[in-house]
Amino acid sequence: MSRPIREAWRRLTGFARRAPLERRLDDEMRFHLEMLTEQRIRAGLSRGEARRAALVAFGGTERFKDEARDEYRSRLADELCQDVRYAVRVVRRHPGFAVAAALTFALGIGASTAIFSVVSGVLLSPLPYANPDRLVVLWESNADRAVDRNVVSVPSFEAWRARATSFDGMAGLVPLPATIAGAPNPERVMGAEVSPGYFTMLGVAPALGRDFASDEERSGGAPVVILSDGFWRSHFAGDPQVLGRTLPLDGRPHTIIGVMPPSFDPPQFGWLTDQAFWRPFGATDSNRSWGRFLLVVGRVKRYLPIDVARRELVAIAAQRAAEDRSNEGWSAMLVGLSDQITGSVRLPLLVLLGAVGLLLLMAITNVANLTLGLVRRREHELAVRRAIGATSSRILRQLLTQSTMVGAIGCAIGFLGAVGGVRGLVGLLPPEMPRTASIHIDGPVLAFTVVASLVASLTVGVVAAARVARDGSAALRESGGRSATRLRGGSLVTVEIALGLVLTLLAGLTMRTFAALRAVDLGFSSDRVVVARVGVSGDRYRTPAAMQGFFEELLARVRTLPGVEAASATSGRPLGGIGPATTVGAEHTAASNDSVTADVRYVDRAFFQTLRIPLIAGSTFDSRDGLTSPPRVVINETMARKLWGSESPIGRHARVQLFNGITPEVIAVVGDVHLADARTPPRATAYLADTKYPNDARDIVVRRSGSPSTLIASIRGVVTSLDAAVPVYQVTTLDGLIGRTLARDRFTAVLLGAFAVVSLLLAAVGIYGVFASDVAQRRKEIGIRVALGAPAGGVVALVMQRALTRAVVGVALGTAGALIAARAMASLLFGVGSADPVSFLGVAVLLLVVAVAATLMPALRAARVSPLAAIRTD
Amino acid sequence: MAEKAKGDVLQGTLDMLVLKSLQLGPMHGWGITERLDVGSERVLQVGQGSLYPALYRLERQGYIASEWGVTENNRQARFYKLTSAGRKRLAEERATWARVSRAVDLVLRMGEG
Repeated sequence: MSRPIREAWRRLTGFARRAPLERRLDDEMRFHLEMLTEQRIRAGLSRGEARRAALVAFGGTERFKDEARDEYRSRLADELCQDVRYAVRVVRRHPGFAVAAALTFALGIGASTAIFSVVSGVLLSPLPYANPDRLVVLWESNADRAVDRNVVSVPSFEAWRARATSFDGMAGLVPLPATIAGAPNPERVMGAEVSPGYFTMLGVAPALGRDFASDEERSGGAPVVILSDGFWRSHFAGDPQVLGRTLPLDGRPHTIIGVMPPSFDPPQFGWLTDQAFWRPFGATDSNRSWGRFLLVVGRVKRYLPIDVARRELVAIAAQRAAEDRSNEGWSAMLVGLSDQITGSVRLPLLVLLGAVGLLLLMAITNVANLTLGLVRRREHELAVRRAIGATSSRILRQLLTQSTMVGAIGCAIGFLGAVGGVRGLVGLLPPEMPRTASIHIDGPVLAFTVVASLVASLTVGVVAAARVARDGSAALRESGGRSATRLRGGSLVTVEIALGLVLTLLAGLTMRTFAALRAVDLGFSSDRVVVARVGVSGDRYRTPAAMQGFFEELLARVRTLPGVEAASATSGRPLGGIGPATTVGAEHTAASNDSVTADVRYVDRAFFQTLRIPLIAGSTFDSRDGLTSPPRVVINETMARKLWGSESPIGRHARVQLFNGITPEVIAVVGDVHLADARTPPRATAYLADTKYPNDARDIVVRRSGSPSTLIASIRGVVTSLDAAVPVYQVTTLDGLIGRTLARDRFTAVLLGAFAVVSLLLAAVGIYGVFASDVAQRRKEIGIRVALGAPAGGVVALVMQRALTRAVVGVALGTAGALIAARAMASLLFGVGSADPVSFLGVAVLLLVVAVAATLMPALRAARVSPLAAIRTD
Repeated sequence: MAEKAKGDVLQGTLDMLVLKSLQLGPMHGWGITERLDVGSERVLQVGQGSLYPALYRLERQGYIASEWGVTENNRQARFYKLTSAGRKRLAEERATWARVSRAVDLVLRMGEG
């Protein structure tokens, strides 16, 4: 260590090592006194006299210690105490400044902390599994069909698992909704079938009982099930003796062999939602022929680049495509599990984080502005301090102490606000947001807050000190320190306008996106429509006829309920998430050319009329569509256009890759319906008659005239009267469903809108502050102008012109920034371009209006300045 | 004033004297006062009120180092010793002192042939 460093270290630690220093002083003093005393004794004094004489000779022991201590103590620490006292004095003398600055800080820190906590929980915190960065999701992909993340067939999964060497493990998952019979209401719960070894691969284990054995699914014994902690608590009251008891799933008893720990948060992606139970999955001859339906998760070997695993998987897929013609065109795709789970919300969250960062910058700018105002009022004092020897570094330290103190207060208020606000924010989050359980104020969030506050405080302090350094000496020279006509804080005006413009523009684009999405014609009428899912299971409904009989009876009874205008059934409601799809073609073309993917829905004959889906041509299902009759299909306009162009498809036959290939006759064309969401354009859609292809679970769609809650109760009553073991679930209104699909866009639009409003307020306040103090400082100059005959309008124009020059520069800079920011979020936009001229122009005008409005009051005040001011000031 | 001849150590020279006394070997605070007392033939008497602050200052500046040790009559005392930086400092101070004292001497002898 070089000497200065060692000395600095000693100064700092000397402050902390107070106690050892005191002991050392005492010991040294005692030794010295003893030696003095002995010297006196040798000179012939008695011990007592010698001691007294020694004490007298030594002088005041406390003074000695004080002086010694002073040599040791850090001067820096002393000065820090002085600086803090000084800052407290300044803040107390200017309470308005302190409150405004602290609240502005609190706003910026609080908002950014709240948003960061969401980003941290959802995107940054690692998934709660062992080495989560090695976990990947494996998909099949098909460039011809433009699908890159397709579910996987069992033979593909088996081949990957057998041939790939890059993986420590691979597991198949099948979402498995099941009915749990029970009084008073049977329930439908979501579970999953998972390959044995799945939990070990994730690095989790049951808290109670055991994991699946490696050949559990083949053992042939009674079926087994592992429960989630939540389900165990809600359905078995957390009974520790639950192992060995049975749980009837779809009427079949399953032996409970384990319960997962409460911390286990199963991966959710695709149509795999939260899971209450798990059953072992194994390949069978039957499910090998089911086509593609598996979700596959794998663990890439440690230290092996993920790309190597990806290439190996693609190579295996290529082998399989060469081996078997049915795999032609199919490749494989590998996505990190974390990307898979959070990919769709990454960009919106990052946009929000960026936006809130800009808001924080504006808050910092405003506090810097306020501090400059304060410094300006104390300019003369600071100049005097410099003149009598305060170094620039000392003044910088004082300003930093002051801004850090204000920053700390603001940070504390903002942090408390964020703690409360995060809960509200989580409530606002769109339902599709993954991992909301991991959003809380934790270490990383606290660290973010502290760092953000420090950066904010230091920035403010340094900006203020730089200004003092520049103006300080000039101020003293001019005795009173009005440096002519230069506008102070002009650059801050530019910054505020630029930042405000970026935020307002982003808000404008997302709000227009939301409005455009709401305006999309979904192809059906959601007005007063209630949807409820009803699923039958068990021996009683083994035959298609029994299934069909139940639903026909149910609908007949629902139609007679009071307040029901129309009722029908479909295999899947619109906007209800992923449904079945397959490839289709026109019968007269070669099957190998089938590249049109069509959604498939099984509906009853009242479906189109109930949802008011327009009939374009032909007529829909009737009594001719029975279990044994030849298949017929209703197609949408897109499918008609894709398969037959401008020719009429009525009476032709389509080829549909279902049930080993069917060729139903096209009997009608109906309007396009947005089945996925408003954003996704409708795909080709084939509607098949549910009388021909009965399903065990259907959505009952009812248009009502009465209140929805009594209607839902009535529907439940009808189902119970038919079969008390049949559950009714996923009950909602179609309007509610539309709201859900727009939730993410609403969330970003609402938050960005709020940020924009706050940013405009901050900009207005900041600009007002700059010009109010500008006018106040230039009273003398303005007075002279007025005395010389300047008209009031001229004075107003003088102030306005200064404001507008800055504002125009700010608008230019902001527009440049906004162009870049908007392009980054282009994929979130809908119905509006990222460089939409109307939005840019409108926002630019809005910001100029804000600048003018904020300057107007100071300008009018300037116009009222009396010529006497020229004499009176000073 | 009888004590006049035994005046306080000149401001600024105390550091040099302390360093010089430690050049003879490590010593505790009391021993340093003794060495200065004896070495100056009892002219320079350094009070502990100035000695210890000087010691702590020099130690902080890295010219001397200290550690606990045992005196010849078996007492615990803190011993100070010169560091290499201290030796260099002493050399500089001596050079300055020689220059200044010669200059003062020259001035005092002005016109005395």
